[in-house]
Amino acid sequence: MKNKINLYLIEYAINSLLRQKLKNGFILVIFTLLISLLASIFFISNSIKYELNSTLKSLPEITIQKLKAGRHYDINVDIIDEIINIAGVEDAIPRVWGYYYFENSGVNFSIIGIDEFENQYKDSLKRIIKENDFSKNSNEDFMIVGSGVKKILDENYYKEYFNFIKPNGSFKQVNIAGVFDSSLQLEANDTILLPLKTALEIFDMEENMATDIVVKVSNPEEILTIASKIKLLYPDSRVITNKDIEMSYQNIFDYKGGIFLALFIVSIFTFFIIVYDKVSGLSSEEKKEIGILKALGWKIEDVLKEKFYESFIISFIAYVIGILSAMSFVYIFQAPLLSNIFTGYSMLKTSFELPFVLDFTTLFLVFFLSVPIYIAATIIPSWRSATIETDKVLR
Amino acid sequence: MIKIKNLTKIYEVNKNNITTALNNINLEINEGELIILKGSSGSGKSTILSTIAGLSKPTSGEVIINNERISKLPDNFASIFRREHIGFIFQKYNLIPNISVKENILIPLIPQNPSSEVAEKLLINVMRKFKIEHKKDDIVKNLSGGEQQRVAIARSQINNPSIIIADEPTANLDKELSIHFIDILRELKQAGKTIIVATHDPLFFDLDFTDRLIEVSNGELLL
Repeated sequence: MKNKINLYLIEYAINSLLRQKLKNGFILVIFTLLISLLASIFFISNSIKYELNSTLKSLPEITIQKLKAGRHYDINVDIIDEIINIAGVEDAIPRVWGYYYFENSGVNFSIIGIDEFENQYKDSLKRIIKENDFSKNSNEDFMIVGSGVKKILDENYYKEYFNFIKPNGSFKQVNIAGVFDSSLQLEANDTILLPLKTALEIFDMEENMATDIVVKVSNPEEILTIASKIKLLYPDSRVITNKDIEMSYQNIFDYKGGIFLALFIVSIFTFFIIVYDKVSGLSSEEKKEIGILKALGWKIEDVLKEKFYESFIISFIAYVIGILSAMSFVYIFQAPLLSNIFTGYSMLKTSFELPFVLDFTTLFLVFFLSVPIYIAATIIPSWRSATIETDKVLR
Repeated sequence: MIKIKNLTKIYEVNKNNITTALNNINLEINEGELIILKGSSGSGKSTILSTIAGLSKPTSGEVIINNERISKLPDNFASIFRREHIGFIFQKYNLIPNISVKENILIPLIPQNPSSEVAEKLLINVMRKFKIEHKKDDIVKNLSGGEQQRVAIARSQINNPSIIIADEPTANLDKELSIHFIDILRELKQAGKTIIVATHDPLFFDLDFTDRLIEVSNGELLL
């Protein structure tokens, strides 16, 4: 009784691979590395795109900044009433935010001042304020920190509180009241949320001042018109729409994407050299073996099936190991070196984590770029040898 | 019955290098016969064997085995025919050197995908018959010449073919092992196999169980 799958043929293919351990081992290693590099590029790119899209979705429609000597300067919150009166404006919210450079670890923290009684410009802030109950701590200086900040503070033995150095050189001790995780890793991991009063004190800002003002617009079609009106009202200000920010993000992404494209081309090129080497011919031993098999009654399709199993085993193992190692490299080890190409400022910021994005299209794409091509590269020269007259091959 | 009709084989390496290996050969071999083809190197013996086994297509003429025009068969059908009817023993054995005796002998069975019980039974039978069972797990390249030949014979017999073709089977053996091979040949002849041996080894020329001794010279049979 015949088995459906010819296990003898698979066993022969495995033995055939093991017979040339060194050569096949080398191909497996190189192929795995290439697949891993290719998959890593796609995984990082997917994660960054995911982050970028998430960030873009949460951007305020309009941001107003005060300019002084061409530089961003504190803005007076008194103008908010006038902005709210512009037709089409839903809300205008002052923001107090900035960076705090923590020299011990060489990183920048993002600081956001929160007035719990005012509207928040982002849903994530509302959620964090609600979860951490700002009113409970309102009589003391406290902060809610992102998990990345907490990690760095712990490493520097700031378990309970942190001493900020104010612009005048004095210290400001602030208790750590809570830690939050955010779905927007790129933005929130390095963030410290402080009561508005504390943030103003750390930044040495006056009470009626803000870093900028964000304007919410109900109808996205009116954003540009409202932005022009604001600019007319306050010619000394810089009015930035969400489209402007999106474009600048996209430009950076595209530029960095170009570097990734170069890496992608290099890996594909290397892969095709291997493929070319395979297609260009079999060794005399390999040709002779095909001749022997045919002389012993193997049909051309039997030879090709055996070669299919050989190449499938190598390429599929390389694919699985390559994908798993790329996943580990990107999502567990956070893609050292490669991710820096995209997030080049990581030396100054707390580490941002690449979120896990399982994209089946990417998995299929890498599969079709590797496994079938390698199989074809193995089968084509074998087919050529198998179709030569057996006697010629054996002579 | 094997019929060879007007068989011609010309090898054309290039326009200036054309060799006529076989020139209008005619031969009939009956079932159960043992034929010895003798002749010097390059006389055309191996080409006759290759053509009978369907390993090489004739330039003209044909080979008919059991009413099947083997020389006209497409490649895949020729392979199936070889698998079912022909056991080929090559001069240099043509074993796969880096795999075991057992794996080498099983090669002709692989495309048929038999059950493991059937394969095991056939394997043990031929290994016992050709006294190589004790070496079944040894890697072929580590065996002596005589042992390698026994593996090659066992491999040629695993499918129990009715026709055995041997090309210079004792060319790499000493006299003792050559005599042992002749003993094996006698057993195969007694088992009713049709056997064609191409050789220039004088040991084969006076065998008492040979049906015909045919000389091959310059691609022609000297009958």
